[in-house]
Amino acid sequence: MATTLDTTETTRPVIATGARTAQRTGRRPGPIVNQIVLYIVAIVLAAIFLFPFYLLVRNALLTQAQISSLEWSWWPTEAQWVNFRTLFNDYPMATGIRNSAIIAIVNLVFQTLFASMAAYGLARMPVRGKDVVFYIILLTLMIPSAVTFVPTYVVISQLGWINTIQGIVVPGLFSAFAVFIFRQFYLDFPKELEDAGRLDGLSYFGVYRALVLPNSWGVMAAIGALSFINSWNAFLWPLVVGQSPDSYTIQIVLSTLITAQVINLPVMFMGAIVAIAPLVLIFLILQRYIVQGVTMSGIKG
Amino acid sequence: MAIAQPTERLQVPKVSFWQKQSTQAQLAFWVFVGPIMLGLTVFTFIPIVWGFLISLSDARNSVSIGNWIGFENYRYMIGNDQFRRSLVTILIFTAFIVPLTTIFALGLAMLVNALTFGRGIFRTIFFIPTAVSYVVASLIWKTSIFTGVPSGFANTVVYWLSGSDPTSPVYNWVVEYTWWVLVSVRLWLQVGFYMIILIAALQNIPRDLYEAAYVDGGRPGWTTFRTITLPLLRNAVVAVVVLNLIAAFQAFDEFYNILSGGLASSANLSIARTPLIYTYQIAIGQQDYGRGAAAGFILTAIIIAVTIVQGRLFGFGRSSD
Amino acid sequence: MADTPYPATLSGIMARLTRRDLVKTVLVAGGAVAWAGYGRAPRSYAQGTTTLTQWYHEYGEAGTQDAALRYAQAYTTEPDGNPAVSIEMVWNPGDYAGKLNAALLTPDGPDIYENGGITSAVVNANQAVPLNDLYTPEVRADFSPLSLQVNQFGDNVYGVKIVNDTGVIYYRRSLLEAAGIAPPQTMDELIAASTALGTGRQKGLFIGNDGGISAFLTLLPQSGGSQFLEGDQVVFNNERTILAYQKLIELNATGSLLTGAPVEWFDPSSFTQGLVAMQWCGLWAMPQIQAELGDDFGVIPWPALDASGTPVTFFGGWTEYVNGNRPNVELSKAFVNWLWIQRADFQTDWNLAYGFHVPPRISVAAAATQLQSGPAAEVVGILEQYGQILPPTWTASMGTILQDAVTGVVQGGGGDLAAVLTDAQGQIEAEVVRQATPVAAR
Repeated sequence: MATTLDTTETTRPVIATGARTAQRTGRRPGPIVNQIVLYIVAIVLAAIFLFPFYLLVRNALLTQAQISSLEWSWWPTEAQWVNFRTLFNDYPMATGIRNSAIIAIVNLVFQTLFASMAAYGLARMPVRGKDVVFYIILLTLMIPSAVTFVPTYVVISQLGWINTIQGIVVPGLFSAFAVFIFRQFYLDFPKELEDAGRLDGLSYFGVYRALVLPNSWGVMAAIGALSFINSWNAFLWPLVVGQSPDSYTIQIVLSTLITAQVINLPVMFMGAIVAIAPLVLIFLILQRYIVQGVTMSGIKG
Repeated sequence: MAIAQPTERLQVPKVSFWQKQSTQAQLAFWVFVGPIMLGLTVFTFIPIVWGFLISLSDARNSVSIGNWIGFENYRYMIGNDQFRRSLVTILIFTAFIVPLTTIFALGLAMLVNALTFGRGIFRTIFFIPTAVSYVVASLIWKTSIFTGVPSGFANTVVYWLSGSDPTSPVYNWVVEYTWWVLVSVRLWLQVGFYMIILIAALQNIPRDLYEAAYVDGGRPGWTTFRTITLPLLRNAVVAVVVLNLIAAFQAFDEFYNILSGGLASSANLSIARTPLIYTYQIAIGQQDYGRGAAAGFILTAIIIAVTIVQGRLFGFGRSSD
Repeated sequence: MADTPYPATLSGIMARLTRRDLVKTVLVAGGAVAWAGYGRAPRSYAQGTTTLTQWYHEYGEAGTQDAALRYAQAYTTEPDGNPAVSIEMVWNPGDYAGKLNAALLTPDGPDIYENGGITSAVVNANQAVPLNDLYTPEVRADFSPLSLQVNQFGDNVYGVKIVNDTGVIYYRRSLLEAAGIAPPQTMDELIAASTALGTGRQKGLFIGNDGGISAFLTLLPQSGGSQFLEGDQVVFNNERTILAYQKLIELNATGSLLTGAPVEWFDPSSFTQGLVAMQWCGLWAMPQIQAELGDDFGVIPWPALDASGTPVTFFGGWTEYVNGNRPNVELSKAFVNWLWIQRADFQTDWNLAYGFHVPPRISVAAAATQLQSGPAAEVVGILEQYGQILPPTWTASMGTILQDAVTGVVQGGGGDLAAVLTDAQGQIEAEVVRQATPVAAR
């Protein structure tokens, strides 16, 4: 990840990370036959993995009647692009996308920041009792949300945050999972770098801001993306806390397509495509960075 | 998650000179840790403690505490047939999904890693299901692949295999092959993510180890896999297993969306109700928060116990060095 | 729960794409803009000095949301309303029960809300207040008996029924005639008809993807004349109930039931698409079925178990309640009185303008020309004659216990029905005792 370093600042050494220093695994290219077999297997598996996406697109272009028909069809005889128009004309999709994007971005920024700061303190600061703090934070991961759901709701209510954006967003900004990943990363962070910073007269915060942060954009990106996906796909909490249609997220807009009387399946599938598309696009563009991000996050063990 | 392993890199940092300035360090520490601790306190710790107190109370249609009944809610839940059945359900599910996910993820990782070109494409293809929500995936599985009608994909395949025999059977997959449906949807959704973790770990294995093995007469394939790849992947594999275990124990969405009819309750949920679904039904559906909280804490205890046992058995958390 | 532990990573997203300053600028600016711009569309309810919130679940029929908003606004603006009160109508898609139950625990709950029926737990928690004073003798006489009964607990009536729903078996006339089958009058005839009509890849009957268990869990024993609770006695465990469930097993064993359809029984698609010859579905689906099948359908109630049984259907729908844990109970009661008792025009509109329902007010139903003839009139008659309800002491947990027991036998490949029902009876009796013991102090 040397490229993340700002080359104009010469004091900053190159941070060695797993992805960069490790060698590629040494599986020699086998005989041609082996490779052909491998590619056949890979292509078959790829087809299986893509198949549900194909169904998603097919279903989005069918009519409700065709989804419930007797015969299998590979592709609609007449693609119902009207489903797309129905989705945006009859349902507040624009509002949903806007609200979800807002929530996801706020979540991304603050969850990453808070977790990163805490993890740095937990990994590096010479303070007694910090491990106890760490274990207390980790405990929260083991407790199913069903236990805390209603009490958290009541806390939000006590704060007067029902039907507000802070009620939807703020409880999600504190992620123990993110703290763990960051802490793993900071444990491997070169100590010499910090010591040098301290010798130059930087405060703890100065070291963090000038040295640690700029060298952890990779793991930041990984965590940020994770929190973006999670809050983009979140359903129950925004549903229960938000009330006015102005506050619908995209997942709530999609849920309005399923009522107790009617289920509009094709439009629902069209909506699902719209909801997934941004995430898939990000994957397609950035997939080459993904491996490095995970490696850096220290899960490698 | 996996993470809750106490032994994980707990070294006290080697003494550096700034360690002595402990007051300053204390202050700085709390500035750094303060925001998240404040947030967790308000939105997680208080609810957890509150939830625990509720679990010791008779709290029906109410979350006020004070009607203390000791561990009566726990006693009831442990003796409750439905809750016990849900625990059996989740154990079966975990027994399927964890090994399958681990083996598939490892297989995919090695496959992708062995390809000479187009790695990125395949990696992406195997990974993108991660972006799909459980709700949408469940809907695809339920309405298009494993429907009980002839036009469903699975039944269409059965029809083709029978030579387009119109009397070929039409299966109601969700009821007759429940585990196939539930396991395959989660496998599709999550295997790509674990594959990525393992690819990362694979790429950290130094190439010279293999070179040395070849020099010593080792042949690429099973031998090097067993003697080099697997031992060096141990930590990553164990991480995959533990992450997977915790997630599996908290399964909710695909069971709920595939078995229950969405808004209308469907008795198919009785076939395989997970503990979290049951907890949700008690707490939110029936407004019996005391019992719901007790069920939640019993599940928590099981998750912690399994994680610890698993950690002891496989040594998760030990540093690789 | 929606936050399933989603695997991490998209990683170096910004790592390379952008330099850190750019990232910082974009994110911080984005966050700020986001925060400022979130959900700030103007509110569209009329302004009075006191605001009451009124909650609905999401009705599927187009136009219902606008209608509910219109009624709410009319209360402030129209002369017979109250200009000092504004009603904030909240439309709730998704898991209405979960959201409502959470909200009712807090001081922020709705003032007025709709729900399915009254339960003892709700009464004990003051989540619904008695509305006896709304029911003057004339008003009381104008509500159908079941509309009152479903909201009665002890001596009090706790809600005002705003819409009645019910279900019937829709059958294709042409298919039954071609097969020489008369609409079934008993359970045995239904099983025979389903078997005869379920030829080839088309199935005979659709009563839910679970083989009818959830839809007929309580209706089936009721079709044999058996009930569930009488006072604090659990009375369902008898030969009639066993026979009823055995018939369901028999029906499932014919292989002529449609199960695993893309949509559940409450959506008519499977019937209109010809997947089945008969389907259990709601009155609400009739407009759609008429539009797609014309006259080629008929309706019957769920048939009697046998000669000594009775045809049945569910008496469903929604009731308006007033939340006793909110400050403006009297104002809320006045609004409920105005909207659902005084304003017959709104009840007519609500029940008949957006799909088919049966107005709970006898006078309103009598005036509805749409319900005077054809299949709709038949359904109204079926509801009046055969509608079934459950007592307010019957809870969801009891239903779950029974459903698990029956599912185990019907779909678990057999088992001793009598034994599991006796076991379920024991568990349900424990629940009844618990329900009868209110939480000491609140």
